[in-house]
Amino acid sequence: MSEVETSPVARAHGVRAVEVRVSADAEQVPLLRSFAADIAMRMDFDLDAIEDLRMAVDEACSLLVRSALPDTSLHCRFEPEDHAIRVNVVVDADRPAAPSSDPMGWQILTALAESVTESVEAVDGGHRIRVELRAVPGETDRR
Amino acid sequence: MNAPADRGDRDVDRFRALAELDGDDPRRAVLRGDLVADHMDLARNLARKFDRRGDQLEDLIQVATIGLIKAVDRFEADRGNFYAFAIPTIMGELRRHFRDTGWAVRVPRQLKELHVTIAAGRNELSQKLGRAPKPSELAEHLGLPREQVYEALVASAAKQGTSLDARLAEPSGDRFGYEDERLAEVDNRRALGPLLAELPERERKIIVLRFFRGLSQADIARRVGVSQMQVSRLLAKTLERLRAALGEDTLAG
Repeated sequence: MSEVETSPVARAHGVRAVEVRVSADAEQVPLLRSFAADIAMRMDFDLDAIEDLRMAVDEACSLLVRSALPDTSLHCRFEPEDHAIRVNVVVDADRPAAPSSDPMGWQILTALAESVTESVEAVDGGHRIRVELRAVPGETDRR
Repeated sequence: MNAPADRGDRDVDRFRALAELDGDDPRRAVLRGDLVADHMDLARNLARKFDRRGDQLEDLIQVATIGLIKAVDRFEADRGNFYAFAIPTIMGELRRHFRDTGWAVRVPRQLKELHVTIAAGRNELSQKLGRAPKPSELAEHLGLPREQVYEALVASAAKQGTSLDARLAEPSGDRFGYEDERLAEVDNRRALGPLLAELPERERKIIVLRFFRGLSQADIARRVGVSQMQVSRLLAKTLERLRAALGEDTLAG
């Protein structure tokens, strides 16, 4: 299962926000990182920044897929900004497992993205776990 | 962190025993085989990290296993934790595999040549700019339309092919025993993760760029804004620190 939705709003670089929904399954993670790399390429990120984003999205999705309930979806939203991209990944889980409780994955993620936040909220019949990362087009754009 | 510590302890004893056994002692081959088999989860785990290039996971696991065997053969028990030695060794083997293998898919010759042109342009521009170029800069430098640069960049990501049946043949189900794999992964990750978190930001970044992104020391130097000499020194110091910390942890457990 994969669905793609693009927003009608075009930005300066002509790349729109994209939302992708896939099965919350490790098998789908390569699809999402390719998506991320392609978007970053078209936003003219430098080649290092593209690779960093590809790996950061891989790590974020891998962390979440592990907690996801069987037969549920992983929602991934790519939001281009003028000089950055925001990637928001969400799954539903039965336990409130914070992604940062995997210290290794979290360290890799925070080293590759400019900033990363996580949230765990209780929803009907479980928990919604979210990771949001922000990446910039190159080293010089880092704060 | 009891589990990894116990496991580390047992490993140290077994690596000592391995070193003491004579080369043609049949017990040596058995012990060596056990050590490799017991760390297969690590090889699988790292192989999965490289699956993104479109190669088949099973092939990559074989390459990673060769790295693991080399790590088992070369590891000196007194150097501390096996993982701190095995991870870079296995990652190195996987990277060599990608460097040495050619195109797995039949790509039009024009696109192959473009790939070479782009790689050369990337090097030239990296030198000139002191950072990796953007696709737009590559296009301008090479006098190519941007779409053609995109095409070539996507093609190089697919330098290794994958069978259309690969996903059907390898469901994420039980064939590879994912349950066990993840349990073991918890061990590795639990042991290294907190240590990584304690490192100063620059050192942590250098480690991640070196071992998880596979960048050269020169590339890391450029990106972190220090000299290559400093990267080399910082890497050595940080690895020493990680080894010591993992070793102490093993002793304490």
